[in-house]
Formats: sequence, C-alpha cells, structure tokens
Amino acid sequence: MDRGMVIFVGALLTFSSSWLGLVLFPFWQLNGEQPYRKDAADDPYPLALQGTALAGQKVYQREGCMYCHSQQVRSEKFGNWWDEHGQERTGADVKRGWGQRRTVSRDYIYDRPTMLGTMRTGPDLANVGGRYSEAWQHAHTFNPRVFNDWSVMPSFPWLYRKEKVVGERSERALKLGREWTVDPGYRWRPSAGQWDAILRDQGEAITARFLSDPAHSTAAIDPGTADGKKRLLDFWLTTEEEGVQIVPTGEGEALVAYLLALRKAEVPLPEAKE
Amino acid sequence: MAPTAVTPEFDRERAAAERAGIDASCRGPVLYFAASAAFWLLVGSALALVASVKLHTPYFLTGIPEFTFGRARMAHLQAVSIGWTSMVTMGGCVWMMCRLCRTELIYPKLLFVSGTLWNVGTLLAVCGILLGGGQSVEWLDAPPYCPPFFIAGLGLVSAWVAATFRRRREPHVYVTQWYILAAVFWFPWLYTVAVFMIYWSPATGVVQPIVNWWFNHNFLGLWLTPVAVGTAYYLIPKIIGRPIHSYYLSITGFWALALFYSWAGMHHLIGGPIPAWLSTASTVGSVMMFIPVIAVGINHHMTMRNHFHRLKYSPALRFTVFGAIAYTWVSFQGSVESLKDFSEVAHFTHYTVAHAHLGAYGFVSMIYFGLYYYMIPRLTGREWASSRLIRVHFWCAAVGITIYFVGLSIGGWWQGRMMNNPDVPWGNIVVYLKPHFLSRTIAGVLMTVGHVAFAALLVMNLAGWGKKRTGGPTYFVEKT
Repeated sequence: MDRGMVIFVGALLTFSSSWLGLVLFPFWQLNGEQPYRKDAADDPYPLALQGTALAGQKVYQREGCMYCHSQQVRSEKFGNWWDEHGQERTGADVKRGWGQRRTVSRDYIYDRPTMLGTMRTGPDLANVGGRYSEAWQHAHTFNPRVFNDWSVMPSFPWLYRKEKVVGERSERALKLGREWTVDPGYRWRPSAGQWDAILRDQGEAITARFLSDPAHSTAAIDPGTADGKKRLLDFWLTTEEEGVQIVPTGEGEALVAYLLALRKAEVPLPEAKE
Repeated sequence: MAPTAVTPEFDRERAAAERAGIDASCRGPVLYFAASAAFWLLVGSALALVASVKLHTPYFLTGIPEFTFGRARMAHLQAVSIGWTSMVTMGGCVWMMCRLCRTELIYPKLLFVSGTLWNVGTLLAVCGILLGGGQSVEWLDAPPYCPPFFIAGLGLVSAWVAATFRRRREPHVYVTQWYILAAVFWFPWLYTVAVFMIYWSPATGVVQPIVNWWFNHNFLGLWLTPVAVGTAYYLIPKIIGRPIHSYYLSITGFWALALFYSWAGMHHLIGGPIPAWLSTASTVGSVMMFIPVIAVGINHHMTMRNHFHRLKYSPALRFTVFGAIAYTWVSFQGSVESLKDFSEVAHFTHYTVAHAHLGAYGFVSMIYFGLYYYMIPRLTGREWASSRLIRVHFWCAAVGITIYFVGLSIGGWWQGRMMNNPDVPWGNIVVYLKPHFLSRTIAGVLMTVGHVAFAALLVMNLAGWGKKRTGGPTYFVEKT
C-alpha cells in the first residue's frame, strides 16, 4: 500500500457504502413522509407546531432539555423485567404511561430538529402533554423540587418574573409557598436568628393565621417552645409571600405551551399497531 | 566504479539534520494547534465539572441560566470534541505526515489561518451555547453560524496534509499515513453532509437523527480513532526502537475499520422510530469491528512484547500504551453493547456515557497526551521541566477515568434494569443514581487536576523552562 491512489479509492468506496446505506437510503425511504388521514373527512395528523408552542420548542432546545429527556415511546415488545410472580414481561414505556402506543417516524415529520434523545435521566416526554396540567408544569419548571424532593432537574427561575402585586394577584401567578418564592430557584428557609426576628415582628399574626387554618384550628401552639416554633415555621413557609407574585415570562409560557403540545403517542396510526 | 560505502554514522547524522529541518518547518502551526487544544481541554473540563456537580446537587449555581445543566453539557461537548480532540488531531496529522513523508511543511504560515478559524469557531460555539444558542442536536450543538469556520479550517488542513503527501520523499507509505490520509478525507465529507442535512436543508423528521448518529459515531470512528490509532502506530515503534510486528495485520486492521466502523452508528437509535433494518445493519457493522480491533490489538501487543518494562521510564509510551489498551477494551465493549439484548438495558442510561468517555478519554485523549509528551520537546527543543508533574498528570488521568468508568457503568446498568420495570417508581432510580453521579464528580476533579498539571507543563515548555534537548528525554525514573 505505497500508492496514495489505492488508499484514496479504498477510503472513498468504504465510506460511500455507509453513506449510501445509512444516509441516502433512509433519506429516500422516509423523506417527505406525509401526515395521516383515515379518510377525506378526517383531520390530518400530525399538525405542525405553531405560535407559542413553536417558540417554546426553541426554549426547550437552547436549555438542552433533551440531554435528560427522550421523546420516543418504544414498542411493547422492547425491554424486559420480571414481575412479582416471576413472569417475564416487556414494554415498560407504555406501562409507565408515557404513551398509548409506540411512536413511529410519522409522528416526527414536522420536528426541526427531531429531538429523539438518547438519555433518560428524567422520564420520556413524547406524550407529556397528556400527563400534567398547565399549573403543574409551571410550578415544576420553576423548581421541580416543589413536587419531588429527590429531583435533580434544574430550576428555571429565569423563565419566571418576580413582581409586586398591583391590585389583584395575577391569574397567571404560580400558587407556591414562600419557601419557593423568596429566593427563586432555591428552597428558602430562614436561619434560627432570622426566624426569631420575624416572630418578634409578626409572631401574633402568624399564630392567628395558623390557628385560623382549618387544618390546624384544633391544635394548640406555643411559639415559645422549640417545637412550636418549628411547626409555626413549617406552616408559615407554605403560605404565599405577601405583596409579590411569580409569573411566567413570555419564554416560560412558551416552554409550557410546547410541553402541553407534546402528544406524540395518542392518535392511532396503522403502522404503530403491534 | 564500485559504489561508495555509506557509513551508518553518516546516515544517522544526516537523518537527524533532516528531522530537525522538518520539525522546524512545522513548529509554528503545530504548536499553535497543540496549545489551543490544551486551552480548550481546560475549558471543557471546567464545563464538565459544572454539569457533573449539578446532577447530584441541583442547587449548585442555580439561577444562572448560562450554567444550567443542559447548556453546560452542550458547551462541554463542543469544547472537548471540536476544541480539544479535533485540534490535536489536526496538529498531529500535520506533524506526523511531514515526519513520515520526510518532507518539510510548505507555506506553514497559512495553517495559522486554519487554527484561528477553528479557535474562533469553537469560541463562538461555546459562548453561543452558554448564552442560549444551543441547538440540541447531539455533537452538533454549535449555533448555525459556527460550521462555516470549521469547514474552512478543516479544508485547509486536509489540503496541506494531501500536499505534504504528494511531495513525499520517502517512497514507503507507513500505516500511520494511511490512517491520516483517510481521516482528513472522511471528516470534511462527514461533517459537511451532516450540517447540510440537519441545518442548511433539513431532512424530514427522523431522517435528522439518523444522519445525526451516522455523524456522531463516525466522528469518533473515522476521525478520532484512525488518527489516534495511527499515532500509537507511530509512537510505539519510535520509542522502543523496533518495527511494527506485522505489516499484514496493519492492512487488515485498516481496511476492516474503514468498512465496518462507518456502518456502526445506528445502534444508538435502537428501539426508536426508525426502520428496524437500520439498527440491524449497524449491529452487524459493530460486531464486525472485532476484526480490526483484534488485528490492531495483536499488532500493538506483539510490538510491545518484551518491552513493557519501558513503561516505567517513558511518559509518552506510558500514556500511549494506556490508550492502546483502552482502545481494545472500549471497542470490545462497543461491539457487545450494540447487541439488541444488551442495548435494551444499556440504552438511555449513563452506561453509554461511561462507554463514550472510555473511548474519547481513556483511548483517544490518553494517546494524544502521549503524542504531546513525544512531539512537543522535538518542536521546541526543550525537555519537559518536571517529571513529577507528568506523573501527577498520568495518575490523575488514569485513576480519574477508571473511577468515572466503573462508577457510571455500574450505575447505568442498574438504571437501565430499573427503567425497564414499570413497577419501580422513577424517584427510586434517581435516588439510586445520585452516589454514582457523585463518583463522576470525584473522577472529574481528578482528571481536571491532571489537565492543570499538563497545561502547566506545556506553558513551561513553551516559555523556555526546562533543559535544552541534548540527549535523552525526561523520564519518570532515570535509567541506571
């Protein structure tokens, strides 16, 4: 192999084979795939994202969500486990409720880029639009530990704005206790000294509020004891911060609109039958 | 008239003078590539640490959008793939090609243009991603204004390597040259096609991830692997002073890699919404990779046989042999990983991340460290200033990648088993993974310490500290 031409032609041929086989052939097979309609009267599926949901896809992209969340539901024959009777079973994705069927190439024809993902540090999101409410998505994006103490997902406080309440609280405002809102993105808890100072200032009002809460109305509380102080603090942290509210920014609204629009594994497609 | 006998002494002196002339012609651009690469390695390490810490301590740096996990991860990958490994690859290709062709580099100053294009592109990619321009296309996350820089820079390097080859004075073409020639031809094609079909004229739906994984796997397989394997082929015989064991094994290894590696990428989409035959074809390609890997493994091992004691002395050899062993290991693992039954567990888990780092770090980066320790003194004319720092670098890197690999492989495997069982709540999986994530941070800190030692050595060498090269190199232990 002392001739450059031999190496060049060989490298050309071997690489061309994979280029033809793995790139051009699938391109020819799948490019330009059309939406599905059962009959002429049926609405086509899928539809391209529009408006805020499309803007939200940009946010999803730039924050790198797909590096922990895939968007593909796998076949009911894929993967195995043994249930409590020692029976071998398959298809965890659908059984986890991530979708009603596996996803197929047609589900992605309008995706740019197509973020199938290769990692599941978090659950699959192909059909997340069907699983959670808008309010849940906002609170969870603001700080995922609101719902799951163990979560390692980042908080996204820059998609939310903390502002003074003028008049009524906004309808869009997140309904979260002050532990989440005092220091957005973190879970706040005052130090013992700070809590003592707060109690000196507003102790009576907080106690009255504690007692007027239906969950506590029968329980006596003594802010003088350590236990009383702690219970009062735990309660106070779950109450909303006075005079301020957290509302989604345009980007926060867009991201959640995108998440709610992710419903890739619901509409039945003939090729997705198993 | 009888031919005059040429004394070996005379030959040796002339060869040394010729090598010195070749090194002098490459000095500027190759050192520029090498120093830039080391800088990006440090940047990439810092970003890796940010991302790694966040996976077990999510409140670390919370509220700074630039350092959220997703952005730090994308920026890390660009810094180490485009910045670190690719820049060493290019610098190494130019230098080894000149050395093996026994010819001086022509118009060396123009390669500064290539290096600068590459640096500007990488800077734009890393900063662009941190500031919110990340694209979420794995390995190709750089904002769309970056690829032209890379394509132009790469084009120059490929042209220079080809021109050097055309001007060769040595008629025999060594195995390293095959790998380099193929790599500088494959990579521009690969990169341009991928950018074209994903960004400039996007293909429909799942064709994008198909092109994406064809690119990603070949980035390692047809760009980094050939040059790193070629580097080992160059360094091992050079350092121990004996020829490669078998020419025919080299040929087998080269052609089998060219044919099979390029087919291997689709197993990353196993179970996904793509035609099943694609994954199957890639599984075949991946399993066939046993052939080139065994050929190269035997060839390197047989060359090294009876010379392993030299690992005690030579830093360049120790890094290179570590990398060569990791190549065999990571490739065997990769072939097994592509099998469907195995993939059903390991896919979507940190097992794959451990595997990727064993490849890109344990194999490629370690051989490249070996290349630095061999090449830089020959270019600057200075020996390494401190064998202690080299030792720190080696042990931090070697122990670091081992902890990284073991921790995440175990964690990833059980993550996959639990994920496949819908009765296991998601929270249990995350809680199970946290200590494994912590082990990755510990490994990352170690590797970063090693990189700081490495960068310090490089700066010292470039600044003229360290004794002038007269006789032998800096050894770990002086030979007695």
